[in-house]
Amino acid sequence: MSANRTVSEEPRLVVNRPERSRLRRTLALTLPVPVVGLVLLLATGHLLMPLDRVVTIEAKMASKRDFFEDPEVQRILMEHGFRVHITNMGSRDIANQDVQGYDVVFPSGQPAADLITNKRAKAGNPVLTYRPFVSPIVLGTYRAYAETLKDAGVAEPQRNGGVGGRPLYYTLNMAKFLTLTADGRRWKNIGIKNHGVENGNKILAQTSNICQANSGGTYLGLVAFVRHGNDAPNGTREAEDLAQEIKPLLVEQGLPASEMAETYLSPNGKSISPIAVFYEHQYLAHQIRHQKAKGGPDTDRVLLYPDTRFVTEPQLVALTKDGERLGRLVTRNHELQARAVELGFRPRDATADGMSDQLAKFLTDRRIQAPVTSADDTKAVLPSLTVLERMIQIVGDCPEPQKDPK
Amino acid sequence: MRRGRWVLALCLTLTLTVTVTACSGDDDEKTTLRVLAGPDLAVLEPLLDELRDETGVELDMDYRADADTGDDLVPGTGTGKGGGGHDLAWLSTDRSFRLRHKDTAQRLLRTPTMLSPVVVGLRPDVARELRAKSPEGRLSWADIADAAATGTVRFGMADPRQTGSGLAALVGVATAAAGTGGALRENDVSCDRLRGFRSGQKLTADSTRDLLDDFVDHPGTANALITYESDLLALNSGGRLKEKLEIVRPQDGMVLADFPLLLLDPDDPDRRAAYDKVVEWLQRDSVQEKIMRTALRRPVSPSVRRDGQLRAPVGNALFFPDQLAVVERLLDDYGDPRRRVPNQVIFLLDFSGSMRGERMAALREAFADLSGADSSATGKFARFYQGERLTVVRFGGRVLEERTVTVGGQKDLKTLADVVARGGYGDATAVWTALDHGYRTASTVVADDPERAVSIVLMTDGENNSGIAYEEFVRRYEARAAETRAAVHTYPVHFGEADAGALRRAATKTGGRMVDARGSSLSEAFKEIRGCR
Repeated sequence: MSANRTVSEEPRLVVNRPERSRLRRTLALTLPVPVVGLVLLLATGHLLMPLDRVVTIEAKMASKRDFFEDPEVQRILMEHGFRVHITNMGSRDIANQDVQGYDVVFPSGQPAADLITNKRAKAGNPVLTYRPFVSPIVLGTYRAYAETLKDAGVAEPQRNGGVGGRPLYYTLNMAKFLTLTADGRRWKNIGIKNHGVENGNKILAQTSNICQANSGGTYLGLVAFVRHGNDAPNGTREAEDLAQEIKPLLVEQGLPASEMAETYLSPNGKSISPIAVFYEHQYLAHQIRHQKAKGGPDTDRVLLYPDTRFVTEPQLVALTKDGERLGRLVTRNHELQARAVELGFRPRDATADGMSDQLAKFLTDRRIQAPVTSADDTKAVLPSLTVLERMIQIVGDCPEPQKDPK
Repeated sequence: MRRGRWVLALCLTLTLTVTVTACSGDDDEKTTLRVLAGPDLAVLEPLLDELRDETGVELDMDYRADADTGDDLVPGTGTGKGGGGHDLAWLSTDRSFRLRHKDTAQRLLRTPTMLSPVVVGLRPDVARELRAKSPEGRLSWADIADAAATGTVRFGMADPRQTGSGLAALVGVATAAAGTGGALRENDVSCDRLRGFRSGQKLTADSTRDLLDDFVDHPGTANALITYESDLLALNSGGRLKEKLEIVRPQDGMVLADFPLLLLDPDDPDRRAAYDKVVEWLQRDSVQEKIMRTALRRPVSPSVRRDGQLRAPVGNALFFPDQLAVVERLLDDYGDPRRRVPNQVIFLLDFSGSMRGERMAALREAFADLSGADSSATGKFARFYQGERLTVVRFGGRVLEERTVTVGGQKDLKTLADVVARGGYGDATAVWTALDHGYRTASTVVADDPERAVSIVLMTDGENNSGIAYEEFVRRYEARAAETRAAVHTYPVHFGEADAGALRRAATKTGGRMVDARGSSLSEAFKEIRGCR
């Protein structure tokens, strides 16, 4: 594995590439060569530091790249001698494709991570995993849609500090919501027009590709749990039947849009995916950015928390020694843990029951409502790995995974 | 990237007396990527030099008319590239590819670069006329289909078998026609509901570009265009039209294209690095803004402020089917837009005494609805259309009257209404004699004009009590030419005291399907089997 790892001599610098080459070219005309290098680094705001060994980590990840792509996280990692080069793909693809040449893979949830760790263990190459933070699965929507669901008795606003009576969070009665989908009800049937929106589409939550994304697979597990009387299916037979039964609820959206959070947060999100399944941190990060840029939260985009909750645990799977060093760093380093909170993640030590004090305080300090989860909520249990995999294949008609060449 | 930094480090530490440009890794690593490109991407050509100057990556664009729908980007054996030796693909949409090659599509890296919905552009006079008829002045796909069926809207649309825009338009209008609010399923496309809509298509082309040129060059041919919003904006600002087209975003929804850039072999590190550079460049706000100004498409970046017309709400996105069979069925039914032969429906209508009164009123209403009186969305799609040939056969104890019209205008529909309005009831019900008569008429049509699709609708409210027996009908049916039997199916409408079992048997025998009007109405039953053949 180490053959693909790259250790190179270089100064610690914050990369600011586009500016550099043009500046360099301009200076080259006027200055003698050795000076150019020095001036260049100073001029572009890079610290001139003693040379150090910076490791480039090759990583595959899905939505959790939000963390590693954050400039502040990159700065802290660089201080510790890491640069992370990311290949972006869905969690299930990460698990099913070759990991040769990678130092870490960071699927967004446990099932994909288990697929990898099991495979590696079987091949006699056990790996270490790290869990730096967690984030619940949520349904992002818009005020008009949430209020329409409220009118239909399917959603209930959380009343703990919404701005001017405009709560950002609603609790969604999953069983009732899925019944609307199962009955083929459409938004225009439940009075979306009263909230100034025209929409003849069926009432359903859109997910990223079930065959590829952890959020899609997790939502499938959640739907299965709710439609099975708040119980995970036992055994393959029961799971297969259940998968066939819930399939119509999940395939009605047709060809999935590529990235749910991205689509939802885009300017046309309300048109393309008015209810989208993704992670809480993606929404909170948007609100934190919005607050910073505009001085207040985005009150049109709101979250539905399923009353049957599921908190996803992204796992950083280390495939090399350098990967393990990175894993230790992101789980133990206080600066990185604090930054994770600022990006909307729940720290690892948060109990699955509640939002951590740190995250709640961070949001409240910025006058962003903090979500609460009721103790009455049910905690969903996903079926065992092989059973979930089978269900994903049935519902998604997924292509057979490639044979893993180890 | 790594090598570049290493070189830079070397320059600093050893202060080599080399020229500075040698130290700039970016400029050293000139890469050329071969791109399979859809013709809709050609508009970005002016930006590609900038891309090369700023990233060192040159895109060698290989424009193919059918890039969006063809198989050129399926990897060839062992090359690790697309079948045409391409490194990247840049399409208006990869939906067709994702449907046909699910497995391959999942492995590619994919980045959306800009957005444009498929919308309708109407000449202002046509837009005014349509709006005047619509209660809130808002137009739907159903309104467009209705106006196409009457000849009011004569539109141009690129061939959906070749182009992403045509396919998106076809799926959009078919989804609206099915009216389920979900993605199209096989049930929804088992009958072709777009015949009326299609009868209004007067222009087609193998690429959007050619379509726009034809539209401009032949101003009398069409008064509407169905294509990407960006095409219409470009046409409107290009000064080639006498009158700007009014852009209509149908209220029942649209299909959005996201112009994805695909890396065909994500495991090749050099191409991967170059792809990353291109993507990073394309996603810069400054570049997104240039794309918006150049291509008139909506930026993917939320932080770029959209220009005027691009701020208009796009409307709801319709769900795109995820089953290949559904799209293939749509394309089959769509056929060749250059060789369109309107179909013929033979209505065998029971005029026995039991049809008097309410039942006859219901039948006349059903014909009125199909002639344009039904203002529901499904009614607008199902209506009789320009060029369609309609045969009405009235029967009682024998065939009473046969009348055929080719719909050219309101007067033809009036003729039809008059035939149905005529009294002259028979005193018995000769169901099988009538059906046999229908097949005799159909055989003549099939023999004269093999391209014309023919179907038979058999409406009766009683049991057969006159004329030939079912067995005799079957004997004669089986003696008919194979072409007739293969092409002409019967759709019985079960009404009143008709024998459901016998009607169902006839449907099965001829490859049709029975519908029951008792639970709904004759109108609904006729609508349900419109387009079945």
